[in-house]
Amino acid sequence: MDLLEFARGPALQWAAYILVAGSIWRIVGILLLKEKSDFSEPRKRAGLGSALKVVYTRSFTAPPFAKATMYPKMMAYVQHVGLFAVVFLFVPHIMFFKGFLGFEWPGLPNSVIYVFGVAAVVASLALLIRRVTSPVLRLISNFDDYFSGFVAILPIATGLLIPVRLGIRYEDLLAIHILSVVLFMIWLPFGKLGHVFLVFITRGTTGIAFERRGAKT
Amino acid sequence: MKKTPTVGEILQAKGVSRRGFLKYCATTASILALPPSMIPRIAEAIENARRPSVIWLSFQECTGCTESLTRSASPTVEGLIFDAISLDYHHTLQAAAGDQAEAARHAAMEENDGSYLVLVDGSIPLANPGYSTIAGISNVDMLKETVAGAAAVVSIGSCAAFGGIPGADPNPTGAVSVMDIVTDKPVVNVPGCPPIPMVMTAVLTQFLTFGTLPDLDKHGRPMAFYGKTIHDRCYRRPFYEQGRFAETFDDEGAKAGWCLYKLGCKGPITYNACATTKWNSGTSFPIESGHPCLGCSEPNFWDKGGFYEPLSTGKFDSGERLAGAAAAGVALGVAAAAAGRRKQSKFAKEG
Amino acid sequence: MTTLEGIQGAAFPFHGNVRPILNEVIHAIDKLLDTGEATTIDLASLPFGPGELEHLEATLGTGELSAKLDALGTSRIRETAYPGVWWLEHRNAHDEVVGRYLEITRTPEILKSQDADIAAGRARLDDQSE
Repeated sequence: MDLLEFARGPALQWAAYILVAGSIWRIVGILLLKEKSDFSEPRKRAGLGSALKVVYTRSFTAPPFAKATMYPKMMAYVQHVGLFAVVFLFVPHIMFFKGFLGFEWPGLPNSVIYVFGVAAVVASLALLIRRVTSPVLRLISNFDDYFSGFVAILPIATGLLIPVRLGIRYEDLLAIHILSVVLFMIWLPFGKLGHVFLVFITRGTTGIAFERRGAKT
Repeated sequence: MKKTPTVGEILQAKGVSRRGFLKYCATTASILALPPSMIPRIAEAIENARRPSVIWLSFQECTGCTESLTRSASPTVEGLIFDAISLDYHHTLQAAAGDQAEAARHAAMEENDGSYLVLVDGSIPLANPGYSTIAGISNVDMLKETVAGAAAVVSIGSCAAFGGIPGADPNPTGAVSVMDIVTDKPVVNVPGCPPIPMVMTAVLTQFLTFGTLPDLDKHGRPMAFYGKTIHDRCYRRPFYEQGRFAETFDDEGAKAGWCLYKLGCKGPITYNACATTKWNSGTSFPIESGHPCLGCSEPNFWDKGGFYEPLSTGKFDSGERLAGAAAAGVALGVAAAAAGRRKQSKFAKEG
Repeated sequence: MTTLEGIQGAAFPFHGNVRPILNEVIHAIDKLLDTGEATTIDLASLPFGPGELEHLEATLGTGELSAKLDALGTSRIRETAYPGVWWLEHRNAHDEVVGRYLEITRTPEILKSQDADIAAGRARLDDQSE
């Protein structure tokens, strides 16, 4: 079995098991936790509406912080939109999803995908530079921040290398690319990449908690 | 050793003019994928080359490789076989049979000891030597005996080079490649199912012309022909980049000649010269005829997933084990939550 | 699609290789004029799409001179509409194309009488006159 066969076969298979088991473990483990006892009178009745409101409002920066966080927010959007386009709109990737979902959707030309990919990598590097140069950010960053960023950007970087080649054979680059995705899938449930499935849950809970206290959301 | 005439002498005896010889050299340069500026050197080398003795062994094979070679239009393979090389044993093509044929093989081995070429098509069964025999000799014995005095071995086709179709899962005959058995002689692999005739000719021509074997890649294949992927040299590549794909074999995209990636083309991971050298006297190659590349010149091409599955498809097993993983996730989650709740209660009490 | 014509008609016009070759030819002409050095382009080494070779041949057109060579099969040597740019096509004894070249030169080498042939011819002439 060559490296590509290993990557496409057992490596991807085991990564899928770990991704599914790990994600469900994390989600179930959090959802089944006891709600914190609240001894105060709620200011307002909080429900699904309050949760959805914060899911939406947290997509933008609150006006007082707009200026200070404009740059990282923009970069994070470029990174996330780029990542989304590369993962879900590149035709060979759509074929990968079709392999187990059974359906497909329209993709974008490769040249457009390359632009998204490069933009995502550049934005990630910009955010990394900001993280290490800002004393405050550096202080509150731990291994998880750096490693999760690395694991997320590695598949894009290795994917972008495939058309460039750099003297490495296509099948080896493809294998390395798939293995970088395998690393991403394995790490996703356990580190900060878990925000993939937790982001809206945490925003929702925050929304409900704040609404009860009468805080502005 | 028998003093064989040089190619120059053979051509002269046949009344071939110098112009004809230059033409022959130009096509030889093409075959060897050498730049036309090399033609004078080739001319000099060919003129003085002596035709090598060639022994062709056929093991677990379908004769497709021989069919391919004898239909080649390159500087007349008939010409090559009868003029430029001395094909002393090939049990499909030769008139002799049985003891006579085996005697011819032994005679060629003795007369050209240390300098003859052995060409092999077909894989070698090791599970039971009786699965494939010639004149009562098992394939593995005949290969070892014949190769002992050879200058080099050329594995013709994917079966000889990598085990090929006989070696496909579950490999009932225990088929192995020539390289698995011959470890003390140079082995050149010319895989393909069948290989491009011109590539087979090229290896012979290079040996004849320069007395050397070509530069090889990591799978033992001549770099000149297996150095680039089909995808890299495919005339449909622009459509891949533009995201224009044939979805089925008869849709508008297929008729317009768009990229066949979605139909399972293995061009990106297949190293061969089909896109430039082409088949049937340069008529076309599979992709040009509207069919995705099967990757037949790659090791284990038969076992690399469905021919019509896109290359980027993962090889996952059925969903049952994934469901098992999900169930394990639920169990772990419940256990984690129970532990968390105990901790929460403890904090609340102590709080 | 029921006829072969239908398939033929579907062949798309893809001429991505033609322009780089024409550029190479222009450079080769410059080199020929500046230094006298000839260039040969082996057309078999290029990944042509369907109809592309024909398109290149049509683009280069036909010039004033063409020759037919009978040696190990027929060869056609033809100057294109661009002087100094020659289209060579070698065929084997079975009339199958075994090589196609563009030669950018004043006279393709193969058109010239070769010394070996001249000497052999002289010997034959000698025999005849005896």
